[in-house]
Amino acid sequence: MGLIKTVFLTEIMKGLSLTLRKLFAKPVTIQYPEVKKEPAPGFRGRHALVRDPKTGKDRCVGCYRCAQVCPSRCIFIETERDPNTRKRIVTRYDIDALRCVYCAFCVEVCPVNALVLTEFYEYSGYSRDELYFTKEKLLQNWDEFIVTQKRPYFNPFWKPRGVPEKMLPGPKRKAEGI
Amino acid sequence: MPQALEIIKKQIGEDEWDEPYYVNMGPQHPATHGVLRLFLELDGEYITHCDPIIGYLHRGIEKLGETFTYSQNIVLTDRLDYIASAANNVGYCLAVEKLMGLEVPRRAQILRVIVCEMARIASHLLWLATHALDIGAMTVFLYCFRDREWLLNIYEEICGARLTHTYPCIGGVRLDFTPHIIEELYKFTEEFPNRIPEYETLIDVNRIWLKRTKGVGVISGEKAVNLGLTGPSLRGSGVRYDLRKTVPYLIYDELDFEMAVEYEGDVYARYRVRMKEMRESNKIIRQCLDKLAECEGEPVIAENAPGLFMPFDKPKRPQAAPHPKKVYLIKGVEVPVVPEGDVYVATEVPKGELGFYLVSDGAGHPWRMRIRAPSFVHISAIPDLCKGQMVADIIAVIGSIDIVLGECDR
Repeated sequence: MGLIKTVFLTEIMKGLSLTLRKLFAKPVTIQYPEVKKEPAPGFRGRHALVRDPKTGKDRCVGCYRCAQVCPSRCIFIETERDPNTRKRIVTRYDIDALRCVYCAFCVEVCPVNALVLTEFYEYSGYSRDELYFTKEKLLQNWDEFIVTQKRPYFNPFWKPRGVPEKMLPGPKRKAEGI
Repeated sequence: MPQALEIIKKQIGEDEWDEPYYVNMGPQHPATHGVLRLFLELDGEYITHCDPIIGYLHRGIEKLGETFTYSQNIVLTDRLDYIASAANNVGYCLAVEKLMGLEVPRRAQILRVIVCEMARIASHLLWLATHALDIGAMTVFLYCFRDREWLLNIYEEICGARLTHTYPCIGGVRLDFTPHIIEELYKFTEEFPNRIPEYETLIDVNRIWLKRTKGVGVISGEKAVNLGLTGPSLRGSGVRYDLRKTVPYLIYDELDFEMAVEYEGDVYARYRVRMKEMRESNKIIRQCLDKLAECEGEPVIAENAPGLFMPFDKPKRPQAAPHPKKVYLIKGVEVPVVPEGDVYVATEVPKGELGFYLVSDGAGHPWRMRIRAPSFVHISAIPDLCKGQMVADIIAVIGSIDIVLGECDR
């Protein structure tokens, strides 16, 4: 370092001039509670069971795929057969959100797109029970979420971009927005 | 004053006066980058001995890996080096693919390189931010986080998560890029080279920064190799070793980039290497984006990929089956179970060489998953690096080797 540079603190002056310029630049901070960040489409947030607009019920067929593929094993399903029609009825569909790792494997493997990780991210709670989603709560999550969205809503994991069609199960190929 | 010293000496005894002084640094010290505990033996301000004590973040990921299927393990690898999780995912997926003999489509390979290099920039930005903050440069911290935020926003669009991406899957990647992401990445690659000089203006020639980093934590190339250092910490000592160049994987052999090497081997040299690497990574992303346009609309996952569903157990009666082991994972596509054998695949992650050693016994889950984590090896070099240095220099040394305790303790 030369004598002039040492005496006149040139490098520090350069740094200070940079910070001074930044003083007049547009701030990057988001004033969070007042201004909210818009999550990107496909953001993996709070869980919801899709309410089918035709039937008004969930779409789950009780195939247990989501429960099987879940790395944290936080999906609990119970089914029973209808004695008359021999159809499968889902009696219990619970997700423990505190155990979930938000990998969206469940959304990807669901053959009928019954499940979704919505783009809703403000759902902290004071107790564990608040974050244990039962079937009713999951459907309610969907109702709360879908009113805030542009219709038709389509989650990227329902039909992953770039994955060949023949690798997807039938209903997923024909998946449409809700 | 000498009188006071005499009195103290008399009180504690002449023998104890010369005894070393022991200090526990961490595990809750903010400059130890997590929960690293250093047991220091001091002679005045100088360190005579240093003992790193690890294990405060142990989650048993290697053991857990034996109880998960190959696909589910991708989620675990996110939690190794959580600052650049996409790079870990890619390393693990490459290991499983080598074991299964899977060919990954070209588009997926390019996408993987892009997320890997984005992870490298994101990791180096966070490293620079915290390292500079430890040494005392607050402004750099804010600027780095501003740019890292941009990258995380792009990640959010790519895969829906900002920290634990789980983006690649066995046989490819989970989602293709949208045109908007490519546009945003072009914007980033154009703007980012102008951002690096901003950090350099603040610290590159700053006399405080130079005094804190030059000649501190010096390690020769030979010793660095002997200690097992990899990545920027090794290249800072003048050893030309970068897995992307020496053992090219994915499409790195087609790309035009330089290996960043510095020869001094001190904290400053390692800082220069990382700054250079960020520029090179930016170049790589740019080239990959151009390559991406050539294979527009191609699939991003191999057709014989096992998918997320993998059987956990071995087929029950393998000898009774007339055909080789086959299971139907996806309707209409026959996929063999992962064959028996073992494989070691190492990739160049931001921290160094991340290796996955997988042993398979033919079932759907690894029999053993051993992770060669660069941070673990780098921590073992701390005693050598900070011997004879001042206490304050430990902060610079820990920062310069870029450790993440999530990866070290696993």
